[in-house]
Amino acid sequence: MSIVSASLDHAGRPDRALNADALAADARRESRGLLALLSPGLFLVFAVIIVPIGWLFWLSLFDETGQLSAANYARFFEQASYIKTFVTTFKVAFIVTGACVLFGYPLAYMLSQLPRRAASICLIFVILPFWTSVLVRTYAWLVILQRKGLVNSWLIDLGVIGQPLPLANNFSGVVIGMTHIMLPFLVLPLYASMKTIDVDCLRAGMNLGASPAATFRQIFFPLSLPGLASGVVIVFVLCLGFFVTPALMGGGKVIMWAMRMEQTTSLYSNWGAGAALGVVLLGFTLALLGLFQWLLGARATGVWSQR
Amino acid sequence: MTKRLCIHGLTVAGLLASVAVPASAADTITVASWGGTYQEAQTKAFFDPTAKDLGITIKQDTTNGLDDVRLQVTGNAVKWDITELGADECARGSKEGLFEKLDYSVIDKSGINPKLVHDDWVGISYTSVVLIYRTDVFGDKGPKTWADFWNVEKFPGRRALSGSQATETLSVAALAKGIPIDKVYPVDIDGALQSVDKVKGHIDAWWTSGAQAMQLVKDGEVDMASIWNGRAGTLKKSGAPVSFSFDQGVLTADCMVIPKGSKNKDVAMKALAKFVSPDLQANLPLYVDNGPANEKAFETGKIPPERIKDINSAPENVKKQVLQDPAFWRDTLVEATEKFNNLIQQ
Amino acid sequence: MLLSLAQSALPIAIGGIEKRFGGVSVLHDLGLDVAAGEFLTLLGPSGSGKTTLLMILAGFVRANAGSIKVGGEEIITMPPHKRNIGMVFQNYALFPHMNVFHNIAFPLKQRRVSATETAERVERALDLVQLKGLGERRVDQLSGGQRQRVALARAIVFEPRIVLMDEPLSALDKSLREHMQIELRNLHRRLGMTTVYVTHDQREAITMSDRIAVMNAGRIEQIDQPEVLYAKPQTKFVAGFIGESNFVPVECRNGSVWYEDRKLRMTTAAPSAGRHLMVVRPEKLRLINGEQSGDVNALPATVGDVIYQGDSFVCYATLRDGRQVTLRDYCRSDVLAKLPGPGEPITLGIDAQDVVLVADQ
Repeated sequence: MSIVSASLDHAGRPDRALNADALAADARRESRGLLALLSPGLFLVFAVIIVPIGWLFWLSLFDETGQLSAANYARFFEQASYIKTFVTTFKVAFIVTGACVLFGYPLAYMLSQLPRRAASICLIFVILPFWTSVLVRTYAWLVILQRKGLVNSWLIDLGVIGQPLPLANNFSGVVIGMTHIMLPFLVLPLYASMKTIDVDCLRAGMNLGASPAATFRQIFFPLSLPGLASGVVIVFVLCLGFFVTPALMGGGKVIMWAMRMEQTTSLYSNWGAGAALGVVLLGFTLALLGLFQWLLGARATGVWSQR
Repeated sequence: MTKRLCIHGLTVAGLLASVAVPASAADTITVASWGGTYQEAQTKAFFDPTAKDLGITIKQDTTNGLDDVRLQVTGNAVKWDITELGADECARGSKEGLFEKLDYSVIDKSGINPKLVHDDWVGISYTSVVLIYRTDVFGDKGPKTWADFWNVEKFPGRRALSGSQATETLSVAALAKGIPIDKVYPVDIDGALQSVDKVKGHIDAWWTSGAQAMQLVKDGEVDMASIWNGRAGTLKKSGAPVSFSFDQGVLTADCMVIPKGSKNKDVAMKALAKFVSPDLQANLPLYVDNGPANEKAFETGKIPPERIKDINSAPENVKKQVLQDPAFWRDTLVEATEKFNNLIQQ
Repeated sequence: MLLSLAQSALPIAIGGIEKRFGGVSVLHDLGLDVAAGEFLTLLGPSGSGKTTLLMILAGFVRANAGSIKVGGEEIITMPPHKRNIGMVFQNYALFPHMNVFHNIAFPLKQRRVSATETAERVERALDLVQLKGLGERRVDQLSGGQRQRVALARAIVFEPRIVLMDEPLSALDKSLREHMQIELRNLHRRLGMTTVYVTHDQREAITMSDRIAVMNAGRIEQIDQPEVLYAKPQTKFVAGFIGESNFVPVECRNGSVWYEDRKLRMTTAAPSAGRHLMVVRPEKLRLINGEQSGDVNALPATVGDVIYQGDSFVCYATLRDGRQVTLRDYCRSDVLAKLPGPGEPITLGIDAQDVVLVADQ
């Protein structure tokens, strides 16, 4: 920067602007070089993100006859099921994210406190489900949770319950299945951020008179927030677009946005109908991310004052 | 026929469609169907004999339905020469102009129900929606009619209906009101919806794929369900304690079309003529429970008499069932489906 | 209050500390007494166990056996947060999510000190470490030296009974380190808190400490005032670790100490019979003329090389037994005048009172 500005400032004074033009040219060359390095990435972003989303938006503005129309959006208000689907989608996303935090935080904490070797072995068990398809895992949950599944059979055999619990083919089935699938997405970034917390900071906390619980509350937890925030955002956004598990575990009673998109795309003969759903979900997701950023932004950067 | 299982199929199809398909081999055509055991049966019944007879190569692909065809046709990237669809999809696609006209001087349409013979699509096979119940729950005194299914006092138990196939569920809902099978069409949609409304509180699952319907019944998650006869037959053969009949079944046809812009239209026409010929049609029930669309198949003598009674499109069985009217649903599908969704998602 | 730590300073009595890590013993039967208000440094190479000892003192590492009494009270099983010991960590361990004020206020908050008193005490602590007015700064906006001061202020603001420092200056550059050494020393003089300081830098230890405990392989080799440690090392390790040393083999027989055929003049009593090493500091050697006389021992040698270093010079010489010794002297004109050249024979002199013997191990 200083090189460039100096050359501009003194451009008119050749006595002081020794090699100023050459240096400015060099700086420009460097910028061009960096741009050239970036261009494949920029092109990819443009080609696979900007263009398709723009196209999606464009398509959503046309009705079946190819006329410019708001019909695709008006449908959300005319048909009660869309609002319901929308509310269900966010409800599921919130609950699943909450459940992931509830289960994932202690898990990540435990992993972060284990010796490195034990931690890597345990991490394999966290990542292992990634190697199995979501479909297979969801069916496995179905086998476990349904009326004549493992959980209900055991509970009935043990005499804990008389009638099978409705665990599958309903809302709780969706939440259980999705929580399991989403958990690694929360645990991995959280674990990574917990590993970067300086052990000496915790020691310092205790040394300065904070009990282990107080040290956790005042030091460990705030320092793990950036990882928690990114985990929460990843899980929440993934939940919003989730298809397979709610489709199989919901018994057709829990319709989420992605399922509705698929239904709508096959039901209507114009792409705009489905596209509009995509646009709405994208819009809400972005708004929500903005809200996250606004609420957690300062914390997520890891530096803020307690005042 | 898990035709609506996976939205990713769209993307895949889109990607594939954008890759140029070699058009040089005029004696090679590509046929797309639903995959699975059904397509395996079609291969043995239709595709292999046709390829042999005509001396052509038939390549196969799988489809997710009308969306795939629309994507290929509107994207000028048609890679299929023949594809299978549900009859109501054929009716809708025809309205959208997605298919090539069929040449009935090449294709012999005699023996096919006229409702399934159109300018640009022709019936290929039948699936029935039947009522299945578990015999370990009801013995042989299970629900036999849709009115029984709706009668939650007399037949307590857990129930599943199709949530994805609104047309089929509305048809059985109309039957449940006591409407005779020959009066179901044209369906009184609002009346059928009222009928659905009565039972929806007792529905434990709205299935969205044939596999799911089968699993729900097989694992005892529900005691009775609407189900496709192919799935029901598979369950029974596997020894599951179930019973079903074609009484009050809803007969839905599948059809075949030549997507507009097919590069091997003429060869495809000849192949399609073979597929619907009584001789090859008679092969289908030898491998799968989906009945032939051409009733002359039953006159070929290829189908053993004891097998005929199990086939949904055998003349005896057709009499007991409602034939879904594709033309009716072509015009009412969107409205009916949206209303249906509004209702069941409460 | 903050300036009255001297009254509350307590002595530490450490005894019988054993520590093993996975079967490897790192501290053996270690005992150490620190007087109230004393600045004691644990000095030793890495792996000598000095940091482990500090961690045991702070309560972060559990010893296998032993006792730590602070002012007579046993704290060996007390959890760290109840020990009331201030600690300055090697990397400062400031809380990155709090500003300077909240970092320093942290120990007061844990002790439920009122907000007004907290503000006052933090202000005074900031003043003490010369960071007045920087309370609102974020930690990442501070320089290394400033972080060091914040860590120090945080460790003393709650008037702990003991302050522990784990190589607190090792991350600073040389000139800042030397400056901070003096400052820490002065702060200790003003506040008088019992301080246990860990370093591997012998110069730092000598500059700052009341006493130094030299540690080696899990044991304390010698514990003494810096000047004693330097002048009278008791082991070869101490002699070698603190300052430069030439070791000249000598032998003790019949109550006298002999270097080859010369009887050494010395002011201390002769040790037990057998082989020993004479510790000769480079600056204690002198160039002398002729034979040994009076209280000076003469060692004949040959000059290897003479290196001029501005204020001083270093002369590498070879004794007759082939052993290399180093001599350092200031560049006074009288010394420079008789500076020998390489290869010349010379005589090195060492005063009788400078002769220190250690066991040859």
